[in-house]
Amino acid sequence: MRNFLLFIRRFFNLILFIVLETISIVLIARTNTMQGNDVMSSANTAVGLMYKQQNDVVYYFGLKRMNDNLLNENARLRQLIAANSSTYDTLKDSTVKRPLVSSDSLHVIKYADYYYRTARVINNSVSAANNYITINRGSADGVGKGMAVISGNGIVGKVEHVSAHFSSILSVLSVKQKVSVHLKDGSTSVVEWDGTRPDVLVMKDVPQQIKVYRGDSVFTTTYSFYPPDVLVGTVYATSSVKKSGLQLLYLRPASNFRNLQYVYVVENKLSAERKQLEDSIKTK
Amino acid sequence: MNTSVRNILRFILIISLQVLILNKINLRWWSQPNGFPVFVPYVYPLFILLLPFEAPVWLLLVIGFATGITMDSFSNTAGLHAFATVLIAYLRTNVLNALMPKNLSEYPNQTPSVKNMGWVPFLVYSSFLILVHHIAYFTIEVWSLANIGYLLLKIFASAITSILFIIVYVLLFTRQNTYRG
Repeated sequence: MRNFLLFIRRFFNLILFIVLETISIVLIARTNTMQGNDVMSSANTAVGLMYKQQNDVVYYFGLKRMNDNLLNENARLRQLIAANSSTYDTLKDSTVKRPLVSSDSLHVIKYADYYYRTARVINNSVSAANNYITINRGSADGVGKGMAVISGNGIVGKVEHVSAHFSSILSVLSVKQKVSVHLKDGSTSVVEWDGTRPDVLVMKDVPQQIKVYRGDSVFTTTYSFYPPDVLVGTVYATSSVKKSGLQLLYLRPASNFRNLQYVYVVENKLSAERKQLEDSIKTK
Repeated sequence: MNTSVRNILRFILIISLQVLILNKINLRWWSQPNGFPVFVPYVYPLFILLLPFEAPVWLLLVIGFATGITMDSFSNTAGLHAFATVLIAYLRTNVLNALMPKNLSEYPNQTPSVKNMGWVPFLVYSSFLILVHHIAYFTIEVWSLANIGYLLLKIFASAITSILFIIVYVLLFTRQNTYRG
């Protein structure tokens, strides 16, 4: 026993060093399984408050750009409304084509019910291997883990930590998050980030016979937790992999991650039910 | 001023400098980088470097861990900063012993600085530990050797910038004539 105590006293520094490094490694390993703890994240109240103070100061420098973004988004939404409520020329064609509207609510199959919340970005990063964004909305405002986050231009990420008034979002610029996407012709694939440049996303495993041109848009699918048909990015380069006969697409992300200002947190009210069903199949 | 008060103030200063300013500015060394990484310089290890000479290793380790965890909560990297900072806190005493002519206990109430070490030993001391910190940090963050050139580029770009910032800090905060404890 005495020898043991002497041993500890002699190598106390080394033992402490190893203990602290082990704690760090355990913490790193735990976050890599997507189940991080909420206390040590920027959703933590003290950290969130500090970021909020800082953002209140620098907020005004981005107002001009933010206005432009909102105008563009408004224009796009107005176009969408105009496309859906086009007037029909009844004189020319007596059989008016109207979209089918089922008035009987029993026959409507509803697979998603989205609720949008606005939030302000108070901290943002693009240089790490897993980038996080902190927003000023938390569980008190109805934000929950796993909700999708989009900006006016395109997808942003997924809510990972939530506190009462802040939450932190794992951005698409992360090596541990993949997004299910589809091209214009409906062929689906997966978009991921290779961890290097914040303005390049990679879309893998697109068959060679699908013709893809520069400037083609890529959208989210209904499989993912994102609302369907949100812009992910536009193709700016393609390269073919000789061995597998597949091609690799390089995308410019639709949202500018360097200067995010406002985002929407999208809650799908039916996602819990859907996830439960999908998990129950997996466990069998 | 009391040593602990001085160090607490320095902790607040350096961490806020790192978190509120440096973490927000994604630097690049030239304007149109083709594959050149966007990086953030990490200056906060300077706090560990500037603790008093006679601080015992266990205290350095505990302070290093606390600093790392603070940085981790700000940048959502649970454990990454803590790992790198504890590593340099452990190596610090050995590096200082190798660089200083006398035993470390013979410098009571002094902190490592340009005044009592000289420019070259101080720069060797700080750049070695900063480099170790950055290698540990970025290797674990990227966690693959598939793109080793990119990793090295990121480590060196970040380390060189951090060292430049440290030189600026030292030039700003070294008083010229008065004794500095």
